[in-house]
Amino acid sequence: MTLAFLRRKPDRGLGNIHASASAPSRNIDWVLMTAVALLSVIGLFIIYSASYSKAPIGGSPYGFFFVTRQQVFLIFAVIVMAVVMYFDYEWWRDRANFFYGVTVVSLVLILMLNVLNVGDGRTVLSFDVGPINVQPAEIAKFTILLALVAFISDERSEHLDYHRFVIGLVLVGVPVLLMILQPDLGSATVPLAMMVGVTWVAGAKLRYLLMIFGLSVATIGAALLSGFVNDYQLNRFAVFFDQDSSDQRLRDVAYQGRNAIRALATGGLTGRGWLEGPITNASKDIPVQWADFPFSAVGEQFGMVGGLVVIALFSVVLARIWRIAQLSKDMTGTLICAGVFSMMLWQAFQNIAMTVGVMPITGLPLPFISYGGSGIVTYFALMGLVQNVHMRRYR
Amino acid sequence: MAIDRRTKRLSVLATVSLVLFGLLGVRLWFLQGVQADEFRQRVAAAKTRTVYIAPERGRVFDADGRILAGNRRMLTVTVDWSVVRLKKNRLALFTRLSGPLKTPVDDLMRRYDPCYNLPKPCNEGQRYDTLLPLPLKEDVSEEVVAFLMERSEDYPGIDVVEQYRRVYPYAPLASHVIGYMGAITRDNLETYLAQGYKRNERVGQFGVELSLERELHGQWGKRVYEIDASGAVVRELDEFRIEPVAGFDVQLSIDLDIQQYAEQALETSLRLRRYLPEDLTQLDSAPHNPLDRNNQFLTRIYQRTLPDGTKVDYPQWVQHKAPAGSVVVMNHNNGQLVAMASYPTFDNRWMEAGISGDKFQQLFPSKNPDGSNLDPDLSILVNRAVSGNYNLGSTIKPFIAWAAMHAGIITRDTVHLDEGEYILTSIDPADCQQNGGIARCIFKNATNKNTLRPSKYGPVTVSDALAVSSDTFFYKLGEEFYVRDRQLLKSELERFGFGSVSGVQLPFEWKGRIPDNDVKKALVERGVLDPSEVPRLTVGDNVQVAIGQGLMAATPLQIANAYATLANGGLLLQPSIVKNIYAPLTPDGLPGFADLAAGTVVMSYAEPVVRDELEMPPEVLDPIIEGLTRVIRGPGVRYDFYHATTGQRLFRGFTVDIAGKTGTAQGAANLPWNDSSVFGAFGLGPDVPFTTLAYLEKSGYGSKAAAPVAKCLYLALTGQIRIDPVYVSDPLDISSNLPAPPMILSNRSCLDGSAGIRD
Repeated sequence: MTLAFLRRKPDRGLGNIHASASAPSRNIDWVLMTAVALLSVIGLFIIYSASYSKAPIGGSPYGFFFVTRQQVFLIFAVIVMAVVMYFDYEWWRDRANFFYGVTVVSLVLILMLNVLNVGDGRTVLSFDVGPINVQPAEIAKFTILLALVAFISDERSEHLDYHRFVIGLVLVGVPVLLMILQPDLGSATVPLAMMVGVTWVAGAKLRYLLMIFGLSVATIGAALLSGFVNDYQLNRFAVFFDQDSSDQRLRDVAYQGRNAIRALATGGLTGRGWLEGPITNASKDIPVQWADFPFSAVGEQFGMVGGLVVIALFSVVLARIWRIAQLSKDMTGTLICAGVFSMMLWQAFQNIAMTVGVMPITGLPLPFISYGGSGIVTYFALMGLVQNVHMRRYR
Repeated sequence: MAIDRRTKRLSVLATVSLVLFGLLGVRLWFLQGVQADEFRQRVAAAKTRTVYIAPERGRVFDADGRILAGNRRMLTVTVDWSVVRLKKNRLALFTRLSGPLKTPVDDLMRRYDPCYNLPKPCNEGQRYDTLLPLPLKEDVSEEVVAFLMERSEDYPGIDVVEQYRRVYPYAPLASHVIGYMGAITRDNLETYLAQGYKRNERVGQFGVELSLERELHGQWGKRVYEIDASGAVVRELDEFRIEPVAGFDVQLSIDLDIQQYAEQALETSLRLRRYLPEDLTQLDSAPHNPLDRNNQFLTRIYQRTLPDGTKVDYPQWVQHKAPAGSVVVMNHNNGQLVAMASYPTFDNRWMEAGISGDKFQQLFPSKNPDGSNLDPDLSILVNRAVSGNYNLGSTIKPFIAWAAMHAGIITRDTVHLDEGEYILTSIDPADCQQNGGIARCIFKNATNKNTLRPSKYGPVTVSDALAVSSDTFFYKLGEEFYVRDRQLLKSELERFGFGSVSGVQLPFEWKGRIPDNDVKKALVERGVLDPSEVPRLTVGDNVQVAIGQGLMAATPLQIANAYATLANGGLLLQPSIVKNIYAPLTPDGLPGFADLAAGTVVMSYAEPVVRDELEMPPEVLDPIIEGLTRVIRGPGVRYDFYHATTGQRLFRGFTVDIAGKTGTAQGAANLPWNDSSVFGAFGLGPDVPFTTLAYLEKSGYGSKAAAPVAKCLYLALTGQIRIDPVYVSDPLDISSNLPAPPMILSNRSCLDGSAGIRD
């Protein structure tokens, strides 16, 4: 393959004519890489600070437990990213249907586990594979994107006709429905956000997008009303509109969110300092802070400055993805970038917004920063795809 | 072209992302920039626990330092509100606690929810402060505390706090003066909360406990503790610490020896009047037959027709009701009240005994068992000395005499011929009743029981008139005041403090009533007076005021204060029940006493407060003093035969130099058994600087019931009679059905010797 690159003539007369400028390995977006790396490293510090002093019920403090695992996940994620980058994204696109099938099957399996009540009342969201858990809903972000892009970019048209749009909707809708039924409402919104971005850039009419919104709201509403969704998820939604509820169950949910806001707000401008936050570092007031509310830990310890740095890094990442979407040589690359862009935008926004109390609480992790193997691997894989587009934009 | 379109679409995505991230940035700035401080405070509050510490209430001493009201530390079992928020947990915990605390589960449940298991509608409000632990049982023993603490894992959230309970070591003495405490009523709740009180605090409800609440209360302290997530205390936050400030101690001017003696004398005299009937034929009360005027009143009637048409037969033996009374003893040089008794009395420890509402109703009924309004004569929780609404009877005459001389109507030498009756001269005779008119023009003296005619005292001066209590003399004055100026008598009487509150430090003081046009009109309009009465002050009303009957009314304290004005030569003082205010926490002295010498006086009431200086030159004051002295010592006047003065026989051989005046205030329908007995007196020398007033309701003549009480009191005040020593009381007998145990004089001989002459 490398030889093939060398044989090619450069597309443009820029750079080193002899050593082809279009060699994929020479075209890695290092700005994007750096931003992602910075976010991941910040994530490690945040995960440590939010978990080291806490202990499972009746156990000793976690200490380095979560941060160590997260480092392993990161190493694995980098390897996955390298693999994704190595193969041309068209190679991946051609195998999209296979990955998609695997994803749907695994989602069905998870659903069956829940129907069989393996979790004994608790919702099962992942397969336990030895020391790690695999969350199909996370991996699905990667595979659904590939499948959708593969399907839409098949036709070389500027417009997305209604027929194709509906099929694309079914393509996304099936796994989304499976996620809703798990039930994992938060994760289900991510493919939808991705679909909005992809179809929009692919030339969908505005009313198509409205249709996605309408269908999502109807589905989620139906799921809520039919009782598929358990009380916990329902309460998290209800409490957003009734912060001062007298209902004890709602109060417990509100507690987590309210403490997250408190932690963040008490950080003030410059924060209390690393490991100096009373709520993050010395209380158990925000359950599972390292996965659900890492941004509150950022806010308390590093203040508004820290929060803005994180948001700025996300902005850099998004800007680079956006740029790659523009540079892409074909529609497939553009759509991949658009999908990753909209997924990441939605997920980062939703997680931070719920931390600052402007969105209902869902379990969506903050990309690169939240603890969680499946999430980190998936996002690194998505970054691999984006880099892939960047690397091979000169073909 | 394709690229352009893609760019356009991608720009939309970029715009959306900018908007969303911008939104987050703004929110971040709002939370961490604008609201950060507010959140920090809120978080600090959530992570601390504040424990409030009750101040020790100021104590009340008598003039000798006896502790009339003190505090006892007690242990109270409380529970954390959050532990019992769920009804299931609450019921379970309270069921377990019911046994050790010896309290029914329902009562415990009602501490949390006042309407628990009560019929609806129930409008009981929450009585306890939700910022403080919920008190479940006050005053538990050390054993119960030990039992609960040893098993603390079985009783989660249960704690024991130290509180104070009010004690009255000498109860029931001076209960009306000291008063009592009670829960804050709903009407006053806002006011008290605004002053830093806690919702379930007890506050003064009566007496000095109420009127000096501000001085006695003190200020709450607090401790703020930092707590961890499990609620355990980590450390105290010293910067928030506030020490409680105990209330000021109050020393009353009351001398408990005299107070006890006054209460005993009052009750003994009332009981004697109740149990010893009087022979009507030996009394002046039965009126002559008004139709028998031409027969020289030789027949006496024993039956009366009341205005509503019912006929009342007079029994030969008159039984007095003698339900209530009041005694005031004050030092007329400085206005300090030495004793103040009101009967029926009560034991103020009942209010601290935690008795049930039914028991309280039984002791202090507000309604009769059949639901009708209670006879006001029997009401207990009223201090008649400052709230009594009384006619003065003839005890008003010294003040009328002063007013007449002050206004220049008479001099000390003016002589008026008393022929037993006075016929108004300012009314056209044709309008008079005896001539077929409507106005009452003839006012008579009281009947003499021997002649069965109105007593005739002949030519009398003001001194004679006071000595024998000549009504006719004062009828004439009443008319002359009216003729000169209708407001004149009122303005003169106001100089003695009638018609306005005295300013003593006691609650619920009545300001009294001097009739004028407005007062009478209001009384007629309110239906107190018969609608046929003229709604303005008539000459007849003024004539009645001149002998202390009719519309004029005052409190015993006002009357006493007016006598004190005569006694001290014209100074109208502001009476004071408080002698000194001491700095908080005066140390204890002998058992039952505080060590006043070791205390610090922060405010003294020893200096008399002069409200007014009345002009009392010798030519005005001397004939009054002379007349009042003759009431005690004689002589009376000789006209046809010798007329003794009203107190002459009672005070025969009396060794204390006093002047005084009896009075008999006529009661409902002028029936003889409704007469109230009044006596006002003051010591003449510097050794006896005491003015006393005794008012015994429905007890007969002034000389029969009230004057003996005063007589005994002067003996006690001058140490000429042995009085019972004052002891700390026995514990309150909860099973008793009496508001207070009877108090009887051990030596009643000083009460004897009454003559039985009216007025």
